[in-house]
Amino acid sequence: MAAAILMGCQPREESSNRSQSFEVKTASGIPMIFVPAGRFEMGSGDTHPDEGPVHEVTLDAFLMDQFEVSHEQMTALQLPNPSHWQDDPRKPVEQIRWRDAKLFCNERSMAEGLQPCYDESQPGWPCDYDAGGYRLPTEAEWEYAARAGSSSALPVAKDRLKTYAWFGENADARTHVVGSRRPNAWQLHDMFGNVSEWCQDVYEANYYEVSASANPRGPKDSAEQTKRSMRGGSWKSTLDMCRVSFRQGQQTGDSDACFFTDYCGFRCVRSITLDQAKALVVRAETEGQSQNP
Amino acid sequence: MTMHPDSLRPFFLAFLCHGLLLSVWAEPLKTRLTQSPHQLVYEAYIDDNWEIMTSHADGSQVRNLTRSKDRHELYPQVSPDGTKLCFVSDQGAGRDTVRSVHIMNMDGSGHQVIADHARQPCWTHDSDTLIYLPQEYPKWNVVDYYTKGLMYYHLPTKKHRPHPNTEKLHHLYNPSMSSDGHWIVATVHAGMGFKHAILLIEAEGERIVDLQIPGCRPTFSPDGTKVAWGPGDHEIAIGRIDWKANPPQVAEKLLSVKDAVHKIYHVDWAPDGRFLSISRGLSSDGDPSKPGTHQAACEMVGIYAKDWNIIAVATDASETIDLAKEENGLWTTLTLDGRSYKESDWFTPSR
Repeated sequence: MAAAILMGCQPREESSNRSQSFEVKTASGIPMIFVPAGRFEMGSGDTHPDEGPVHEVTLDAFLMDQFEVSHEQMTALQLPNPSHWQDDPRKPVEQIRWRDAKLFCNERSMAEGLQPCYDESQPGWPCDYDAGGYRLPTEAEWEYAARAGSSSALPVAKDRLKTYAWFGENADARTHVVGSRRPNAWQLHDMFGNVSEWCQDVYEANYYEVSASANPRGPKDSAEQTKRSMRGGSWKSTLDMCRVSFRQGQQTGDSDACFFTDYCGFRCVRSITLDQAKALVVRAETEGQSQNP
Repeated sequence: MTMHPDSLRPFFLAFLCHGLLLSVWAEPLKTRLTQSPHQLVYEAYIDDNWEIMTSHADGSQVRNLTRSKDRHELYPQVSPDGTKLCFVSDQGAGRDTVRSVHIMNMDGSGHQVIADHARQPCWTHDSDTLIYLPQEYPKWNVVDYYTKGLMYYHLPTKKHRPHPNTEKLHHLYNPSMSSDGHWIVATVHAGMGFKHAILLIEAEGERIVDLQIPGCRPTFSPDGTKVAWGPGDHEIAIGRIDWKANPPQVAEKLLSVKDAVHKIYHVDWAPDGRFLSISRGLSSDGDPSKPGTHQAACEMVGIYAKDWNIIAVATDASETIDLAKEENGLWTTLTLDGRSYKESDWFTPSR
């Protein structure tokens, strides 16, 4: 019921799981989507070698930011905005190093009284997936959410992609305000374009050959690994790169004083159960009623 | 075929000149530095603490200026008259770190805190004013461009005042002033409409000029005619500034120092312009087990840079200096034990 109310009446793509996804508002007011636990076919067998083999993956439920992290979210936490285009605070953060994206996750966790996932006292800031705070999505979580129940690597019709994504053919070589294109079937915006998004996983081209089937978290984590997975198209991507199975390995920039890759952005996720997510919805509704009697 | 002795004269002269040139360059740079009246100041990580060290130009006569166990001193800059030192001091740990700007006399007396939550100080040409960059927010962050505005602190009156254009100055780092006091040169990252650039900033006005050179951490030559900077992680360059152009621009690259393996950063000019000092070491992103350090690119202030040393190069070289070659008349190592030596600054000791 709450899900139906919160999802609104925007037109959406077909989805087998759409009745189970719903929007929640976190303590800091950032909208997130509850992504239900489920199973999907990850990868693609007909294009780039690193997208295969197609393999079945099951995932636990999680929350994912409805929008890419914006400039105003960075500055609200008193973090330096590393972005190239700073003409609108609602634009997505870019030029952000992998570590600085994780710092945002930790700061946001602490601001909401959650246990941070990243241990800043250790080399590479290892991730505690059970901590309950915000973190970067795994590649599997990202692709599952981007597909939103679709088996197609491009869940929208090619000729309609421009209404869903800012990419090389319509972005005018710059970023745009988050959420200014249509969302996917689970109401997640900019999954196909605007900025590409950091994931937690180490990038390895042949990882799908050995990937775990339940909650895969990428190749063995290592502080020495300098390439991490980045997902989703960006303002400079070709249509092919906007496919949800498209993978790229990106240098983290963590040991680079001058990191200016201006298509690297991110969004956060948080591990959560269905009941915990429903409690967030109830709390948001209650707070809304008390504010607007 | 025999040759008349006169016809051999040009070859003989050329041979002599070549020999003389070789003998100058063959003279180890260390010997030339030993004869220099100048000294160096730099930061070092010693016994779990950041300290500020001085040495003679050739790396000898090393002295620890700070010896403080309760705080970390970094980023030293000596006033042009050689009497005072400004630096940053970090206190606290991790995200509770507070960075502040300090000054003291070169003999260690007169220590004063100038500003909290501020960084990257340098001196005006007349040695009576400090330039510093306030942090963007009071909260700790290690990145170098975490600044907003630019401030002056006048030592005789003890007054702070903002740069006339301070509201527009955002995300600057590594400022330094020209010897005539008219310009500040600095890097900007993700601010003021720039993605990343090296800027000339009018010291008492609102003019800002993009020098249109790639890279970061520029510094003027003592005579103000040249700029040295890092075009990338593995190169230091010297360029001539055409001040008559409107706007001023870097007209030509005069010298390039390259190292294919190590990062080279933090270039600074000797007061006579004959040498540069440079920090050099392998890329890394710090060691969080070391107190008072953070994790980021190791060339940043406060990041432990394992095995980094200070080197000197000669600016009169007429060719690219390749640091992959053995030390010679063009370059030499000044520190040897790699205790995260960085951010060197030359000075002439006051009498």
